[in-house]
Amino acid sequence: MFENIPILSLLILFPLLGAIAAFMLGRSPKAAKYVALVFSAIPLALVTLMLTEFSLSGGFQFVENYEWISFLGINFHLGIDGVSVTMVFLSTLLVFLAILFSWDVEERLNQYMGLMLLLEVGILGVFTALDYFVFYIFWEVVLIPMYFLIAIWGGMNRAYASIKFFIYTHVASLAMLLGIFALYFTTAPLLKADGLIPVDAIGTFDMQLIARVAGDGLGHMLQIAIFGALFFGFIVKMPVVPFHTWLPDAHVQAPTAGSVLLAGLLLKMGSYGIIRICLPTLPDAAVDFQLIMAVIGVVSIIYGAFACLAQSDLKKMVAYSSISHMGIVMLGIATLSQLGIAAAVFQMFAHGLITAVLFMVCGMFQHKAGTREIPLLGGLAPKVPILATVMMMGFMASLGLPGMVGFLAEFMVFTSTFDTWGVWVLVPIATVALTAAYYLWAMQRSIFGELTTKIDTKHMHDAYWFEILPLAVLLGFIVLFGVWPAFALDLITPSIPSVWPLNGVI
Amino acid sequence: MAFAEYAWLIPIFPLIAFVVIGFLGNRLFKKWEGGAPVAILMTAISLVLALAVAFEALTTGDGTPFVQSLEWLVVQSGEFNFTFNMGIYIDNLSALMLIVVAFISTLVVIYSLGYMHEEGEKKRRYYAVISLFISVMLGLVLASNFLQMFIFWELVGLCSYLLIGFWNTRPSAASAAKKAFLVTRIGDIMFMIGLFVFFIGFQGNLDYTHIFNNVDAFVGGDALLTFGTLMIFGGAIGKSAQFPLHDWLPDAMEGPTTVSALIHAATMVKAGVYLVARSYPVMVETPDTMLFIAFIGGFTALFAATMALNNTNIKRVLAYSTVSQLGYMFLALGAGGYIYYYHADFNVGYAAGTFHLMNHAFFKALLFLSAGAVIHAAHTEDMRLMGGLSKKLKITSLVMLIGCISIAGIPPFSGFWSKDLVLEAAFEGIQYNGLFILLYAFGLITAFLTAFYMFRLWFLTFAGKPRDQHTYDHAHEAPKVMWVPLAILAVLAFGSGFAFLMGFESVLVPGLEGFVPHEASAVDLLVAVFTNILTYASILAAVLGIGLAYLVYYKGTINPAVFTATPARKAMSNVLLARYGFTKAYDWFGLKVIYGISKVVDFIDRRIIDGLINGISAGLIRAGGFLRRGQTGFVQSYAAVIVAGVSLIVILLFYVGGVI
Repeated sequence: MFENIPILSLLILFPLLGAIAAFMLGRSPKAAKYVALVFSAIPLALVTLMLTEFSLSGGFQFVENYEWISFLGINFHLGIDGVSVTMVFLSTLLVFLAILFSWDVEERLNQYMGLMLLLEVGILGVFTALDYFVFYIFWEVVLIPMYFLIAIWGGMNRAYASIKFFIYTHVASLAMLLGIFALYFTTAPLLKADGLIPVDAIGTFDMQLIARVAGDGLGHMLQIAIFGALFFGFIVKMPVVPFHTWLPDAHVQAPTAGSVLLAGLLLKMGSYGIIRICLPTLPDAAVDFQLIMAVIGVVSIIYGAFACLAQSDLKKMVAYSSISHMGIVMLGIATLSQLGIAAAVFQMFAHGLITAVLFMVCGMFQHKAGTREIPLLGGLAPKVPILATVMMMGFMASLGLPGMVGFLAEFMVFTSTFDTWGVWVLVPIATVALTAAYYLWAMQRSIFGELTTKIDTKHMHDAYWFEILPLAVLLGFIVLFGVWPAFALDLITPSIPSVWPLNGVI
Repeated sequence: MAFAEYAWLIPIFPLIAFVVIGFLGNRLFKKWEGGAPVAILMTAISLVLALAVAFEALTTGDGTPFVQSLEWLVVQSGEFNFTFNMGIYIDNLSALMLIVVAFISTLVVIYSLGYMHEEGEKKRRYYAVISLFISVMLGLVLASNFLQMFIFWELVGLCSYLLIGFWNTRPSAASAAKKAFLVTRIGDIMFMIGLFVFFIGFQGNLDYTHIFNNVDAFVGGDALLTFGTLMIFGGAIGKSAQFPLHDWLPDAMEGPTTVSALIHAATMVKAGVYLVARSYPVMVETPDTMLFIAFIGGFTALFAATMALNNTNIKRVLAYSTVSQLGYMFLALGAGGYIYYYHADFNVGYAAGTFHLMNHAFFKALLFLSAGAVIHAAHTEDMRLMGGLSKKLKITSLVMLIGCISIAGIPPFSGFWSKDLVLEAAFEGIQYNGLFILLYAFGLITAFLTAFYMFRLWFLTFAGKPRDQHTYDHAHEAPKVMWVPLAILAVLAFGSGFAFLMGFESVLVPGLEGFVPHEASAVDLLVAVFTNILTYASILAAVLGIGLAYLVYYKGTINPAVFTATPARKAMSNVLLARYGFTKAYDWFGLKVIYGISKVVDFIDRRIIDGLINGISAGLIRAGGFLRRGQTGFVQSYAAVIVAGVSLIVILLFYVGGVI
């Protein structure tokens, strides 16, 4: 069906067209949101169609490879495998729902919608790129709309938060860029020796070609150095402790839809980079980094969970919970086992769905109660039953309740952790109780108990249709993939051996 | 196995009720008791099917379980392969549990018609969640592998959380719900670690059939297997409220009494016992774990019974009693498994544990629902405000008396038969390990205490003169829809013990190698029981307990004040009321330790990490003051600089790179 259609390019092109159209609709912002909705629905539909054709063979599919800047060895090379297809699906879904959820935004609406679509362009590019140069370009493209979303539509302290976000992730990008250039120049002689690129070429930015020679050909110290540079670029984005402090600030200031995309998609770019680039390209260095990755993961899990417990701002709590849950992704990767890596990808997918719900819930509290400060809330369940129900479902999903998507992902990560490090699994797994603690405590103080008198609750309105609809879709997927995780894992697992071929658990 | 083919439908019907009641809106069910008829109908259908399946399994089964499963998650890629199944596993044990769960569920939903009648719009939530609970509890019973059991294990926990916190505008209820969830979750974490051990040790397959048939093929050695079974039992400690994770159950009484009866007495808290009985073929390989189970069970039985002695809240007394009786079951199962390791032929431990599970489900559900009828009538749970209610609540007082006699262990009521077997199992263990002398003593003392506090409860509630005239005047007998289920349960609380004479021991067998079921006629069994001196010891303990309660709380020969007469006694009484300080210790741990650490982490985050970052950037800004003209404030220009910079690097590296 798609033999001759460059579907991945179209996937990126449609949001770009939509973004341009939205920016130009300055005179009728209302029209801009319909345009945005349509142009974000198209990629979602395309991905859904693509999934029907997706083969479970594990290799890259829908590959496109156009010469771009040929004297530098840059090609516009796109393709997806099981790891990226889950991320691509998540991206198109979340952007569409985030646009729907922003239906009542009024300030500079057309620019807002344009930026959301531009963000989608960047994210889809990152998740489909198979060329380092293309990857980097899209990586940077993501940064800019997010910066503006925080800086323009953000809260009181938005200037500080947006600059912090920008500088932090940009410094990380530069480290990554250095790593990419190092790979580019050091693998060039190897590629020429193997006859994979012409002798007169400078080098190539092709990920797969570089991965074929880098692992065996590069010196050990060089591998470690390059891995370190790339790894630093990625972990800041994830983020992990101690490079995480930009995240809570960015979230607290960002508008709801911005937070949804930031936590749901942008964080995944970091872990995706490790899985897509670091592991297959530099496997020896990955083994050297194994313990570092594990420690970083475990520290993030525990530290994030404890930090959650101390927060009084609901949204800040959810932001810290992202750090904790991305730590689980890190731990899964650190096991360097196929089970752990598959679980990490599944956890990324699960976290994307769940955290979107959580940030929407936080946004609704801001909207309806006028505050997200937990001590000011209380007893709201009878006032806003839909919001309370959704909040509870989201929290339960996030704390890893079976029947919802997060459970099996965590379970598999911890299984492979046990397989790798034995009873050390006790350290990260203890936070499962801590996670339950901060969520249940937050619910107890915000929706249960006696009705608060600290805020005006007389005029509280329960969820609107444009809030219920995205939440219902997300929760539907959360339950669907929880009840039948094979839908996602069947896509993911065939591609894992090509990411990490070295060993298996069982 | 004609009916078993359809056993998967058993949890489906209540699930339908949950979906219909939960999602089809308030409007539909406003005049329909919040959807109660749907819940009752669906539960009743699954009861009929469950009974058919269970009787088929118990009567026609040849010992091999009926297993049906579908592949839930198959991972076959590269070098890692495993399969998780979802299925049903029916043997005598699950048949027994099916009867208990489906039967009591149906009675409780019917009873709820009366008990929850005045709850208004909240009823819809109640019936939706309780239907969900029934569904997932039946799913837990039918599960065909450990992962599936764990999944349903967590889901019954969720329903428990939702129902304890049913009156969620009460701060105490919200708090109790949270406590129940968190404390049991500590057990769940241990359960999960046990699953990891099994998953790795049994090569990626958690099916009961696979594990039970390949116990010897465990990879990792005895020490790891012992660790694994201990961790699995850790899950049971949390769920079945055993020491030291017991303290959530008394608080769980914040939920409606129907919930206490169904979830926190008859079904969910039995899941831990069921788990141990279910994994018996693995557990018996690790006698150390079995000894530990027996010890925890025996100790908890006594420990919890003491706290029931002087509590004045009718539901709390029953809650402690539940914890204590669950301890009995673990004592029996642990003793049985321990003995089996040394002497494989036959022992009563397994039958005793499962038998007590069944009998306790009936008489404790009866006791709780009777207590519910009392609370419904008196509008208080405080026994100090009751007294003399038997005149107003004739039926309730009678059925509750049957429950009390049964749990006290007076023949021929059901509690007698199973408690006797439990103590017999513990006594048998003495041959193999001296610790069982202590455990038997614990069990016997518990029998005495149980009889005492149950009759104390009955006398305080129903006998004597009313202590609060207002309460007494407004009391009224429960409506028919409530007392009919009570009457049915009373019949069972009296009679379910006769299953022993009908050969319970030879039907409920653990499926172990070398284990020979005990076949004997009813007469032989009777003779064996009543020629055994131990039987008279436990009857004596019960009679003494009842007698003491009678003298103190009915005749008044002994003044209750005597228990608090001296400072030492007073202090002891306060320790019991303070639950040996466990509540405070839990709170202290949560608030001071955990929350304290989180405050420290928050400080590190704000002051140290962010302080450092902000310090660096402030320094850079000062140092870069002379570059201010470049700082236009427009991000576009920053971006332009970035692009220019990147291009510069590319070009530089391009030329210099050639040199490298």
